[in-house]
Order: sequence, then C-alpha cells, then structure tokens
Amino acid sequence: MTFTKRFLTLATLAAAILAADMVGGASKAHAQEVQITGPLAGAPAVRRMRLYRTGRIQLEPNFSFTLQDEFKRTLYVGLHAGYYFTDWLGIGVWGAYGVAGLNTGLTDEVVRAGVTTDRNRLSLPTNENFDSQVGEQVWAAALQLEFIPLRGKLAMFQKLFVDTDLYMFLGVAFVGVEERADVHLQESNEEAGTECALADTACLEQSQTARSSRVAIAPTFGVGLTMMFNDFVGLNLNWRGMPFSWNTSGTDESGDEDGDFPDGAVDSDDRFFKFNHMFQVGLVIYLPTEPEITE
Amino acid sequence: MKQSLSALWMALLAIAFAPVGEAAAQMDFSLDDADDGGGEEGAAEGGDEGGMEFGLDESEGGGEGEGGDDGGMDFGGAEGGDIIGELAAGDDGLETDTAERERRTETVEEVYAVQQIYALRLNRVELAPSGSFTVNDPFLSHPAVSVALNYWWTNVLALGVSFQWFQWGQPERRESDLNFFVRRSTRLGIPVNEWQLGTYLNFTYVPFYGKFAVFNEFIFQWDAYIVGGVGLMRTRPIPVIDPEIREFDFQNRVAFNLGLGIRIFVTRFLGIFLEFRDYAFLEKFENLEVSANQGSCEMPGARCNPDTWFEDSTSFTNNATVHVGFTLFFPFTFDYNLPK
Repeated sequence: MTFTKRFLTLATLAAAILAADMVGGASKAHAQEVQITGPLAGAPAVRRMRLYRTGRIQLEPNFSFTLQDEFKRTLYVGLHAGYYFTDWLGIGVWGAYGVAGLNTGLTDEVVRAGVTTDRNRLSLPTNENFDSQVGEQVWAAALQLEFIPLRGKLAMFQKLFVDTDLYMFLGVAFVGVEERADVHLQESNEEAGTECALADTACLEQSQTARSSRVAIAPTFGVGLTMMFNDFVGLNLNWRGMPFSWNTSGTDESGDEDGDFPDGAVDSDDRFFKFNHMFQVGLVIYLPTEPEITE
Repeated sequence: MKQSLSALWMALLAIAFAPVGEAAAQMDFSLDDADDGGGEEGAAEGGDEGGMEFGLDESEGGGEGEGGDDGGMDFGGAEGGDIIGELAAGDDGLETDTAERERRTETVEEVYAVQQIYALRLNRVELAPSGSFTVNDPFLSHPAVSVALNYWWTNVLALGVSFQWFQWGQPERRESDLNFFVRRSTRLGIPVNEWQLGTYLNFTYVPFYGKFAVFNEFIFQWDAYIVGGVGLMRTRPIPVIDPEIREFDFQNRVAFNLGLGIRIFVTRFLGIFLEFRDYAFLEKFENLEVSANQGSCEMPGARCNPDTWFEDSTSFTNNATVHVGFTLFFPFTFDYNLPK
C-alpha cells in the first residue's frame, strides 16, 4: 500500500507539473518570445566595443630575449604582422634576428675553471674557447594561427583604463641554429665531420671554433597581452615556446650504443630536446587606424 | 492519503502560479509596456515594474529608472533588445523585430549608475594554497607546496604570511642531466643546494584590476597584484665535491621576495591565481676544493673539519618561482558600504 500511495503522489505531482507547463507554454507562445526582463535584456556582454582586430592588419616591431638558457642567451629584434578575420581569430607571421648572444654564468664559469684532460679533450679542447663552441640561435621565423579569447579592460592604479586583450597562438617555427661543426676522433668508429686524433690538440682546438648552421623546424605556441593606448597603437607582451633538439654545449654527450655516453664524435647524436622559450615586448600598430565599433 | 492531498495542493499552487509567469512575460518588453511607459516617467515606471515583479526595493527601482534613461541613450542599438532605445531611434518595425528575435533564457538585468566592485577584499582574510616550481635553476628543480594567509585592511593592501615546503624525497633525483653532462665534459663541479622551507611576512598591493569578456558573452573579473616581503629560507648543500666526507645540515638564510600575480575571480570568494615571484637570498655553497689534510677533524683545515666544507664567500641567489593555486576569501559574503 505504501508503494501505491507513493505512486499516486508522484503521478499527481507529475500531472500537476505537466498542467502547469502547458499553461506556461501558452505564455511562451504569445509573449513574443521575449522571456527577458530589464533594460539589458538580450544585450551583448559589451556595448560599443572597439573591435581592434576585426579586418585590420597588425604590425608589431618587437624585442625578445630567450629564457632559461644553459649556455647562451639570444636577444632578438623582430617584426610580427597579422591579419584578423574576426576580433578573436587571425593569422600572423613573425620573424626575428638575433642581434646579440650573451654568455650565461655557467659558460663564464667553464671558461674560467673548466679542465681539459685526455678523457674530455674532444668535448672541451680548451676552456678559454668554450664560449665559441656553444650553440646559438641566430634567427627565427614563424607562421601562426592567433586566437584571442579574452577581451576586456584594465584599470591601473584606479586612474588609467586601457583596453586589453589576451591572445594565444599556435604555429610552426623555423629557427636558424648555429652549432659546433661535426668532428670525430680518429680512434672512434664515427665518420661525421672533421677527423682529429686525440693527441692532435691543434686539430681539436680548431674544431672548437668551427661552426655549422642549420634550420630547425619546431612547433611554436604562446600567450600574450595587448594593451591599447589609442585606436591603433598599443603595447604587446608575450611569451613564446619553440621546443626543438640541438646541441647547446658543443660537447660529446651521446651516441654510444649503451645510452647517453660519449661516442667519440660531436654530431647530431649529441642534440637534446630543449624547451626553448622567450619573452617579447612589442609596439603594436593597427591599420587602418580606425577600428570598427559594435553597437 | 495525506501525501495525495498535499500533492493536490501543490498541483493547485502550480497551476495558480502559472498565469503569473505569463503576466510577467507580457509586461516586460512588450510594445504595450513601452507605450505605457512613454515619456519621462516611463523609464522610472519601468524600473518600478521591475521592482514589483522581481523584488527590487524602491531605491533600486529608482536607480534602475535612471539607468533606464541613460541606457536608452547608451544602448540605443536596434538589435539590443532595448525598447527604450529603439523607441528613441523611432523604429516602427520594433514589434516585428522583437517578436522575431530569439530569447534563450529568462534573466533579470539591472543597470546602476555606478557598478560595484565584484569582490571586495576589504576586511577579509585570504587563504591561498598553491603549488610552485622554479624556472631559473637548470641544475636542480625545486617544486614546493605553499600556502599564504593575508588580511586585507584596505581593498588594495594586505598584510600576510606565507610558507613553502620544498623537501620531497631524494634531492639527487631532481638533478637535471645538465649537471652530470657539465661535470663529465668540462670537469667542472657545480655545487647545488637543496631547500627545506621558506617562510615570509608579505605585503600585497593591487594596482591593477579589470574584466575580460570571452567572445563578448561572458565577463569575468580579475586583478593583478604586487607582492613582496622578508623572511627566511632553510637550505643546505648537496655534497657533490666530496660526498664521502661531507654532510650538511639545514641552515637559515635571510631571504626577500618580490612578485607579480594575476587573480581571476570565479565567485565572490573563490579565485585562481598565477604568480611569478623572485625569492632572493645569500646562499652558501659547498667548497669546490677538498683539503688534503687528513688529520683530526678538530684541526683547522682538516678535510673532515666542517669549517672547510663551505665556500668562504656567499653567493646572491635568485629563486624565480611560478605559483599556481586558488584563493579563498573569508567570510564568503560581504556587504557594500554604499548603495548601488
């Protein structure tokens, strides 16, 4: 009986809700589909918003510096250009040239106190020239898709208000890398690059400063913030990652059949995957200078 | 039977209230209402109606009325769903437009002359647990769990304490390959230190705040803050130069920190934050030289004398750290001092 009572109760409730819904349904039908109250009913989140990106070209001269470098830090001067189909999606290209390479503290320390013996003569022919053998980024270029999900404003010290957007990008990067040229010991089974005998210090010292260039292809991605000073000029800050493999130290670290042990050659086997990343500051200029404004 | 009766009562109540919903829908934003509300009193009346229907008090209703006037000017777009604005624009086809427009949800919007800050910090206590990792030490990683407790004595200034715990498992397992490679290739020993804990007294200042719209649909509030303080770190060298003999205990180092963070409010009492902070202190590393004196450990200069284990000078160390965590404000609710 208890079950029957419960069933009856639920059935009555269901019928009541159905009846109420039917009556309510009539209101839906003839209330002109306006189920909203208040003056902002149906309004977008932002009124009269400046669409800084829609249908515009962005030109951005910029300055970047690499982060967390083991042996050499690169300072880039570059240019970014983008075209935006909407205020939240666009494509862009970025190119930069390394105007300076700065030794890290570790490089300076090796130059100062590194020790060369017969066991590491290939990796470090002389400590004084160690900074000439380390890898360096020379230039970089990227083709990227740019996505701008967040758009807002920022108050500084409760006085200065600037339009701001936060964007992300994803693409492919081409990085001009300069590394120590391939060299192998006569005593090894390797054949890459120059051959030097372990006792031939002159040959090894010469190999220490020999350079080879290549283009590394890598994914690139990042996130940034653009703050607008006026309708077409702004400040851009972003972070960019470009992971790829390279030999940053110019030393023989790998290639042996037993794992990451020296194989008597400095070559492509000594490249290790590095999470290369950088921070960038740029001046944003939008063309045409007048942005579209929403209603 | 009592249950059946109560269900019947509920059914009657449900049916009785259903027409109210219809009335409300008809009152809002129909042309009839707009016509009734024409003229200067119209907006205020609209506000009153809103107050009556949705429980706004009179002052809010008045505020809304004023806002409605302004809104008519500001939000005069033909597609905004704003009757006042559209009437001002003299759009005769409004009724048709309004009828054709699709409305997905029922909401109550209120416009105020001055919008209140979404989440007040004044006189609230903030608890902020986080995870952190260092970004500038290529030799050894220093992951930590952290917690900060702040009291906000103004809406932009807070005083608080923070605590970090670094000691997890064997520190050697957090050493990078770089350490080993450099030692092998250059015969250069790199002294590394492990950290146990850090504790600080901090000031926080919020100079920036703002809001972001996501695809012009959702708005969320955020702020950026500067944090800095003074405290201590407990560190010790990991013996790598003479591990057979040397064994180090943790020692206190006076440390300073300065950072910049961004906090996004999920609710008025809960947020997530990302913080970059530099912890700076004078570090003592392991001595790179091993004494050849094998004499008694009490002898000055002996290999086993702990006085010979540290470098003579200290090194200024920057621990650039990223914190990611969430923040809770207590009490969860608060009152605004001024009306909307």
